[in-house]
Parts: sequence; C-alpha cells; structure tokens
Amino acid sequence: MGDILSVFDMLSWFPENISTFGQELDDLFAIIYYISVAIFFLTFGILGWFLVKYRSRPGHKGYNYHGNNIVEVTWTILPTILFAGIGLYSDDIWEKTKYSKRVPKPDVEILVLGKTYGWTFLYPGADGKFGRNAYTDRTARALMTATNPFGKDPEDPASADDFMMENQFRVPVNANVVMRGSSQDVLHSFFLPHMRVKQDVVPGTWMNIWYNAFKTGTYELACAELCGGGHYSMRAEYQVLSKADYDKWLDGKVAEVAAASAPVAEAPAADTTAAAPSN
Amino acid sequence: MSSTTLAEHAHVDHGHAHDDHGHHHQPWYRQYLFSTDHKVIAKQFLLSSLIFLFVGGAFALFIRWQLAYPGKPVPVIGSMMPDTWVDAPGSGIITPEFYAQLLTMHGTVMIFFVIIPFAVGMFGNFCIPLMIGTDDMALPRLNMWSFWLIPPAGLIMMSAFWVEGGYAAAGWTSYPPLSASIGNPALKLNGQALWLISLFLVGFSSIMGAVNYVTTVLNKRAKGMKMFDMPLTVWALFITAIIITLGTPVLAAALAMLFMDNFLHTSFFLPDHLVTSQKYFGGGQPVLWQHLFWFYSHPAVYIMILPLMGIVSDVMATFSRKPIYGYKAMVFAIAGIAFLGFIVWGHHMFQSGMNPLLGTTFMLSTIVIAVPSSIKVFNWLGTLWRGNIKFSSAMLNALAFVSMFIIGGLSGVFMASAPVDIYIHDTYFIVAHIHYVLFGGSLFGIFAGIYYWYPKMFGKMLSETWGRRHFFWTFIFFNLTFFPMHVLGVGGHMRRIYDPNVYDFLKGMAGLNEFITIAAIGLGFSQLILVGNILWSLKNGRKAPRNPWRANTLEWAAPAHPGHGNFDRDITVYRGPYEYSVEGRDLDYWPQWEPGKSVTVDHHTIAVADDAGETKVFGAH
Repeated sequence: MGDILSVFDMLSWFPENISTFGQELDDLFAIIYYISVAIFFLTFGILGWFLVKYRSRPGHKGYNYHGNNIVEVTWTILPTILFAGIGLYSDDIWEKTKYSKRVPKPDVEILVLGKTYGWTFLYPGADGKFGRNAYTDRTARALMTATNPFGKDPEDPASADDFMMENQFRVPVNANVVMRGSSQDVLHSFFLPHMRVKQDVVPGTWMNIWYNAFKTGTYELACAELCGGGHYSMRAEYQVLSKADYDKWLDGKVAEVAAASAPVAEAPAADTTAAAPSN
Repeated sequence: MSSTTLAEHAHVDHGHAHDDHGHHHQPWYRQYLFSTDHKVIAKQFLLSSLIFLFVGGAFALFIRWQLAYPGKPVPVIGSMMPDTWVDAPGSGIITPEFYAQLLTMHGTVMIFFVIIPFAVGMFGNFCIPLMIGTDDMALPRLNMWSFWLIPPAGLIMMSAFWVEGGYAAAGWTSYPPLSASIGNPALKLNGQALWLISLFLVGFSSIMGAVNYVTTVLNKRAKGMKMFDMPLTVWALFITAIIITLGTPVLAAALAMLFMDNFLHTSFFLPDHLVTSQKYFGGGQPVLWQHLFWFYSHPAVYIMILPLMGIVSDVMATFSRKPIYGYKAMVFAIAGIAFLGFIVWGHHMFQSGMNPLLGTTFMLSTIVIAVPSSIKVFNWLGTLWRGNIKFSSAMLNALAFVSMFIIGGLSGVFMASAPVDIYIHDTYFIVAHIHYVLFGGSLFGIFAGIYYWYPKMFGKMLSETWGRRHFFWTFIFFNLTFFPMHVLGVGGHMRRIYDPNVYDFLKGMAGLNEFITIAAIGLGFSQLILVGNILWSLKNGRKAPRNPWRANTLEWAAPAHPGHGNFDRDITVYRGPYEYSVEGRDLDYWPQWEPGKSVTVDHHTIAVADDAGETKVFGAH
C-alpha cells in the first residue's frame, strides 16, 4: 500500500541531487507541482460539485445564460499573472544554468563526444591546455576518425599530453567543471540525472555543459536522445572525487601518458597515443 | 413531457426520408469506394483510423511488454513473430533494433493515421457540411482524393516490413543525422525513406482536406447563418484547417530535404566530417530539421486537439441543456491558441543546443499559450454550471476530455518552464504529458464525437450500456497506465530506452513498469468494446430518430440517415447554435432552423410570442 501511495508523492522519486544548482531546479519543480496540485483539486472539486448538483433529475431545468464578460476577463487575467510569474522566475534559473555568458570560469575543462554507442572524454593533460583538435580549431575536424575522434593534431606538441577516457570520467568535488560536448555521428544527449544536467550534443557544434558537484561518489551518465537500437546501452559511469584523490588520479594518468608516448619516437604507429587506452 | 414524446415520434416518421437531390443511381464503386459524398468519405476515414488505431495500439503493447519484462519472450504470439523482430528465430524476444522501430511506428501511426484522420478527416468531413446546412463540400472530388491518399500512404509505411532494416526507427520526430541513415549507401530505399514518402502523401491529404474545409465554411453556409452562428465544432475545424494550410507545406519541404539527405546523400541536415563509412558534402545543420519539423508539428498538436475542443463544447452544451458559457470567448481562445501555436515550437528544443536566449523567448510564448487553454477550461465549467446534466456516453467522454485535458495542461506547465525541462526532457514525464493530451484529450474527444454523431452517420443508435462500459474501462485503465508515467519521469526514466534495468538509478522502478504494462493491456483490450458496439449497433441498434439528443445544430434537421445531398428541405438559420432552456418555451431547446422571435436581456435569451407559431415548423417540435 505504501508503494502505491508513494506514486502520489511525486517529489520523493527524484534521484539524489549532487550539484549546486540542482536544488534550485528541484525547488522550481516543487513550486509548480504544488501550484498544479492546488489547481487540480480546485478544478476537479468544482467539476465534481457541478456534476452532482446539476445532474438531470425530474423537475430540474437548465438555465439559459450566455456568459459574462467581467468573468471572462477575470479568468483571463488571473492565469496570465500566475503563468507570467512562473515564466519570469524560471527565466532567472534558466539564464544562470544555460546562458553561454553565465558559464563559470572552468576549474576543470573536459571534452566529451558521443558516438553510437558510447562516450569518449578528452582531458587536457599535464599542461592543462588542449592542443590543436576539433574543438580548439574547426579546421582540425578534417582529422576526425574512428580512432582519433577528437581530431587531435599529432604534430602539435601541446596535443601530446591530452588523454582520452572511454565510457567513464572523473571530476573533482566542489569545482566548476565545464565540458564541451559534441558528437561524431548522430545526435545524443548528455544526461547526468544526479546533477540535473541534460544537453543534446550535435555533430559539428560544441555545446557548453557545466556543473559543480558537492558530493563525492560514483554516479551514472545516460544518453537521453534516441540514437539507434543501442541507445539504451549508452551508459557510462563517472566518479566525483575529493580534490586530493582527483589530483592523485590525474598525476597517475599524466605519468602513464608520458610513459606511453616516450617510446613512440621509435615506434611507427603514432596514433596509439591518440587512442590511449582508458584508465 | 407529452410534447417531447410527440416530437420523438414525429422524428421517427421522417427517419427514412432519404433525399436524392438529383444524385441519381451511381455504380457501387462510386457510392461506396470512390464516393464524393462527404458522409461516405467520413465513414472511410472512420474505418481506416479504427484499423490503424489497433495497429498503433499493438505496437504500443509490444513496447510495454519489453519495458516491463525485458529479455522475456512476448507471450502467446512470441513464437510466431518474424525472424527480423526477434533475437533468434522463434524466441519471441524483441531486439533493440525492432524496439526502436516499434516506438517510431507507434508514434507515427497514432498521430498521422489515427488522431489527425479521426479529428480532421472524419469529423471535418462529416460535421462541416451538415452543421452549416449544405449539401456537400465545396470541392467534393478534392475531398475524395484527400481520403484516397491515406491507404497508399499507409501501405507504403507498412511495406517497410519487407525492406532491409525494417520500419523507420528514428522516432516519430525523425531527427537527423540518425534519420538520414548515415552510413547506408545512396539510392537504396530503406524504412526511413518510405516513412518520408508516406508522410509526404499524408501531408498532401491534409492540405487537400483543409483547403476544402476553409472554402466550404466561407462559401456554403445556409441562408441566414453568420460566422458567429456556427457551432464551435465548425469554428474549431475551420481554424484547424487554416493551421494545416499554413503549417503542412513547411513539413513537406522538410520531408523532401530529409529524403534527399537519406536517398541522394545531400547534406541539408548533415555537418561536415561525420565519422561514418559514407562520404557526405557536409555543411548542413542537424538542428535545422528540428526547427522545420516542430514549426509544423507543434501546430499539429493543436490540429490534433482543437477539433475535439469544438466537439466537446457541442456535446457539453447539448447534454447540459445550456448555452456554451462565453461562446465568443471560446472562438477567440481557439483563434488565440492557433496563432500562438505557431510561435512556440522551440519549447520542444530547449535542450537541443539552440541558443539558450531562444529558450527564454520560447518559454515566455509557451507560458502565454496556457492562458487561452485555461479560458476554455473555465468556460466548460461555466457551461456545466446550473445545467441539467445528462450522463450519456458522449457526455461522459466529453467530461473525460475536459478533466484529462486539465491534467495534461498542468503537466505541460512543468516542461514549459525551460529549467525544469532540463531534467524532465526526454523522460517519461513527457510521455505521460503527451498521452494525457492526445489520448486523455484527443481520443476521449473522438469517442465523444463518435457516440454523439453515430446516429446521424448510420441511422442507428449505439448501445448506451456498452458505451458506458467502454467509457469506464477506458477511463480507469487510461489513468492507471499513464499517471504513473509522471512518476517514472521524475525518477529520471528516459523515454525510448529498450531496457531500463541497465541503469542503477532506474532499478527501483521495475515494479511500476510492470504495473503500467498490465494496465496498458487492459486499456488496449477495452477498445474492443467500442468496435463491438459500433458493429453490433450497425445491425441491431435501435432506429435513430431525426434528432435523438434534442440538439439545436443543423445536422439534426437532416433525415435520420441522410442520403447524398443531406437535407430534405431548405434550411434557414434564425439563431445561434446554443439556445437551450430558453425562457418562454415549453421545449428546452430551440433549433437553429426554427423560426421564432426572441429578445436578449442581460445575457439571457427570452422567447417572444409570434403569430407564425411553432406548429408551422416541420418536425413538429
């Protein structure tokens, strides 16, 4: 019985929120929810009352009345005020979360690319800067291939330490993470349910995705835009780590990349660095 | 009371006064198949839409089975399913690829082959000429073609079963690059290409019908009928037809471009350097499709609901024995919704990657469109106020329309708020919302219309008992199916996913998914009652009187089962369509075609004694 009743307590079904602006979004949902519940009971109450009171029965008659302009104007203006209020209040939060100029200064910057079916991430590596690739230079899009999805230019030295991750990524807690998202084939949608983040990623364009997590742990990333039969399987995991753990992990990765690229001077296959194995 | 009985008696007498109006004997295929009679065309739309309703419903039940019991074989018919649908021959387990085809075809069939043909094709054809008191459409042959494009379009869509890869699988919205079938060789017809051709034909059908409706309404109204004497059904269909003529060509252009991308490998919607096995020119923009598609498809939402709003208004006035509260406000609200419907399409695209500034604009315009919608709801409540409400099957369905539209409208406010939409976009919250509007709204409205006009359509009364049973089961199972979907959406359950159990955060919802599926199966089977009732009453139903609901609008002046040419005498309109319970009259209705004088005092109509008297009127009211 409790399970059935919990259907009516809709707000309890939200997954845990771990991002700084998530609470604002949930609160806005709750405000609209309570307004809706109130309007629901009001209108259904009136409807039920009328249906019982004015039901057809012997001796009862209808009433010829064509309506009243004052009433019409009243019930035009009241919803207008209510809805306009919701709209203006929503817009503040919308601007804060989505406007390009409101994207915070990144503490960590990551590129993310959707593909059928999976996610690839690119970290800037030891220098903290991306080399020439499809994001930093549009013309580098010509270099994009299945093995070099980000179009990393192997001739740019700043590119050498940029490393890729497949289907998982890590971010530090309490830091502004800014991701630039795109796709290498069809549309996908980058959905972090616990962060209240969703952004379609479109091939040929880079989208701003940002968040700031306040809680460590392992969470899930899903694709929310139909991208083919395997759409459901575009699941990935990400970890929110403490600053110390994140730095330790990043140092390890940097060392790993450096070690992998050192013998490359002799090895013929230069693209093995580009497609550095995940983890 | 005695006068009413007399009136009914008189109606039955006139019941079979078929009138030929010079439409002499025609070969059977011109009478039943390629007929230009608007009523026959309406019946053809009814038949094709009913068939597709069950096709689309079957697709939905496959989807529901997979969501509730992922990886389990479909019961009963599983072993008979074609090999291309299942993971191993005879296993009955749906593949992810077939799942994507199912959800695409469910949406497409229900929208383009069920709701639009029902709402616009069937009711538009049946109601407009009868309700404005004329013999037929202005352009009957064009009208015939508007139906006869539907069967080939349906066959083309369904023929994808025999092509490699099966049906279209990019969702009913068909966003490129997925719908451009990148990676497939050029000049090869796949399911998606067939989908595009099929919808192109459906679009043509819509345009032909719509041009006809507008022409007919403007030119063929009965003597004395001003625009503001038209019933709301006609107003709604008229305004819907204008939306169709403005919106559908845009869809047609978009479909043509996408077809070229798909079939000829052009790049209207494809950017450069896609990582695929095929070569494309590039330089296109995927989001452009979404703008073009929603520029049509958002107004299409109103194409699917405005006619039903009109129908529900008429049904409510008749069975409340009251004038529509605020008739003109209702007309202006329909017009307002139609206009605003063209400037809100971007609310489908808040997360699409369009400039977030546009998100602000579209959010505000969307919020504004909630106002005319709420005006309509308040006016419906006002119509019930101080009525004399009779709960016929038609009225029950109309009341379901209003109440479900309230829920669908309220859930719409959530996604109209762009920041709230971030989280619920592409989740089951959206699925719940569209089903509350398109099933809870449109389909209940369609049911109301079928119960209301069936007597005029077939000359027989539908069984009220079975009509009520159909209503109660549908209403209950509908809510059990779709209300919990809001909850799934709040939990983050994405739409269009094959197996929710892949995700840890969705694991707690398996029970809910199972519950929904059981309710959905009940909902699907409840519709058999409707079909049974329609077929049974055709043969065994009580013979319909001329005006069984004692309604005012002109279709009830026609013989009980009107022949080609509709009316058996000249029609002149003396008043608006909603003069129920007029003071100074014995009867609680006052048909539009009946002469008589009245005065309006303070929003009330009062009949004035007239020398002509009521007895001279045909039908002996």
